[in-house]
Amino acid sequence: MENIVEIKSLNLCVKEGKEEKVIFSDINAAACSSQFIALIGANGKGKSTLLKTISGILPNCGGGEILFRNKAIESYGRKERSSLLAFVGANNPRAKNLTVRGVLSINRYYKTNWLGSIKQEDEKRISEALEMVSLAGFEERDSSVLSDGEYQRVTIAGAIAQDTEAIILDEPTAFLDIANRFLITRLLRDIAHKSNKCIIFSTHDLQTAIQMCDKIWVMAGDGFYDDTPEKLMEQDIFNKIFDGQRIVFNRTTRSFEAVNETI
Amino acid sequence: MKKKRKYFVIPIMILVAFFICDNIFGGVYIPVKKIFFSLFSGNAGGICETEQNFIRDIIYNFRLPKAITALLAGTGLSLCGLQMQTLFRNPLADPYILGVSASAGLGVALFIMGGSALGINLGSAAFQTFGIAGAAMAGSILLLLLILAVSEKLKDNLSLLIFGIMVSSIASALINLLQYASNESALKMYVVWTLGSFTGLKSSQLLILAVLSVAGIILSVYNIKDLNAIMLGEQYADAAGINTKRVKIRIIVATTLLAGGITAFCGPIGFIGIAVPHIARMIYKDADHKVLIPASAILGGGMTLIADTLSQLPGSGNIIPINTMAALLGIPVIFAIIIKNRA
Repeated sequence: MENIVEIKSLNLCVKEGKEEKVIFSDINAAACSSQFIALIGANGKGKSTLLKTISGILPNCGGGEILFRNKAIESYGRKERSSLLAFVGANNPRAKNLTVRGVLSINRYYKTNWLGSIKQEDEKRISEALEMVSLAGFEERDSSVLSDGEYQRVTIAGAIAQDTEAIILDEPTAFLDIANRFLITRLLRDIAHKSNKCIIFSTHDLQTAIQMCDKIWVMAGDGFYDDTPEKLMEQDIFNKIFDGQRIVFNRTTRSFEAVNETI
Repeated sequence: MKKKRKYFVIPIMILVAFFICDNIFGGVYIPVKKIFFSLFSGNAGGICETEQNFIRDIIYNFRLPKAITALLAGTGLSLCGLQMQTLFRNPLADPYILGVSASAGLGVALFIMGGSALGINLGSAAFQTFGIAGAAMAGSILLLLLILAVSEKLKDNLSLLIFGIMVSSIASALINLLQYASNESALKMYVVWTLGSFTGLKSSQLLILAVLSVAGIILSVYNIKDLNAIMLGEQYADAAGINTKRVKIRIIVATTLLAGGITAFCGPIGFIGIAVPHIARMIYKDADHKVLIPASAILGGGMTLIADTLSQLPGSGNIIPINTMAALLGIPVIFAIIIKNRA
């Protein structure tokens, strides 16, 4: 397995007006090809910011390094970056009458001519990507009338069609029912393992993450952890996610429980 | 897409028909046969030389320039409206949402009413029309420079939208002040400009308008890929490797030049720019700008041509302002399409 993404002592920062504020310091992590990695953390810890910074959408302003194939992410040009890494944001808006092919062709644009014409090669990638998310033959469908679960799969297919080494997804399973959440997580795992892609996604669904992921990145109260689910459980790291909020991690059920308060 | 290309054949034929209609009908009734003979055959069938010259004069110096102006204005404004609606992901956006008509209006108001307030005689009619167009164009270009200067500093498209609305409000307030201070004839001249008109363009003016419009139309066609790319929002485009800042600037430059140029020579023409893109979307049921750009251009040109023809049909006596005609004509079309699409 090759190292795809490497993060070295990164200080995650956000811009508030002109001021830059570090919201999470000293992040060290690595992701390899065909690894399926979940990013876990409480609301407001900076999961989205971290994923966007890794993707190069937000600037790395707090110091530290983000390496993509041993080269700093900033050193890649825009087009080169899109050929290495795809990002799927949360809550993607929809456009009326836009076909599924239309959505996926946006992901192919960095390869197309000035008019954005879809060639046979692009067409092939698009139908392959749709097949991988079990939406084969959906090319001509109006993307705006699909269900939330189907549309989420379309955006994932877009990332696949972009033909990159890594895919980063911001909460791909939020707003979905439990069946769809399971379906999409399993789908992402299969894509990672079968097509050797490195997939990193943020989620609040720890139970599924423990079950399916090769590694979990944890943004805990006392620091950043990057390890396999088993080791993280052994070291009792998950209990540090909601430190001091009367919630404990139960290792047998692999889920969080409220602390019983005796009156 | 390939299937849809053939659907443009009939609209283009209708567009050509409307263009011819606009040349045939007008304030003075001339039979079609006479027009044909005067224009295309040297020895006319029973029409005397003077009458032929008279007809040629009407067609070449009045109706043809008017029809070309209407065609360019309709095409250009529809393309502007479409691009603004896509950029702001807002169905209510129109060509003037960034403040083009208000700033062009302020330029015109300063020229007409500012001049009269200072007691300057505007002189000949030719100087007036050129001056009005120049002042409107200057207003639009200043606005464009202002937007380009601030767009780097604005957080997102919503801020840009608010900025445009604020510019419009400030310009309107200044225009009101000028109106209050100016004399009656200047005020009337300004109000007439705001009603919008395709008539009275000299060939030199028409040439400037044509150059600006064609340049704007070419830029709009060049924007097709960018427009498709930002349909799902800036974040999606950003992630797919599209430089959204450059996209925004391209769209703003194309629309401001196009809308500014048209407003300069025709006045603020409302309704067409906001309605035609919707009609195009409803007819073609496609979000791809490879379809929507040509569709809006053709439908927009056709809409202004038919509106212009109807606004001065013989026998109606007075000429109905083009803005009024466009709204009267377009609204039923939109309602019809909405009701038809409901089923």
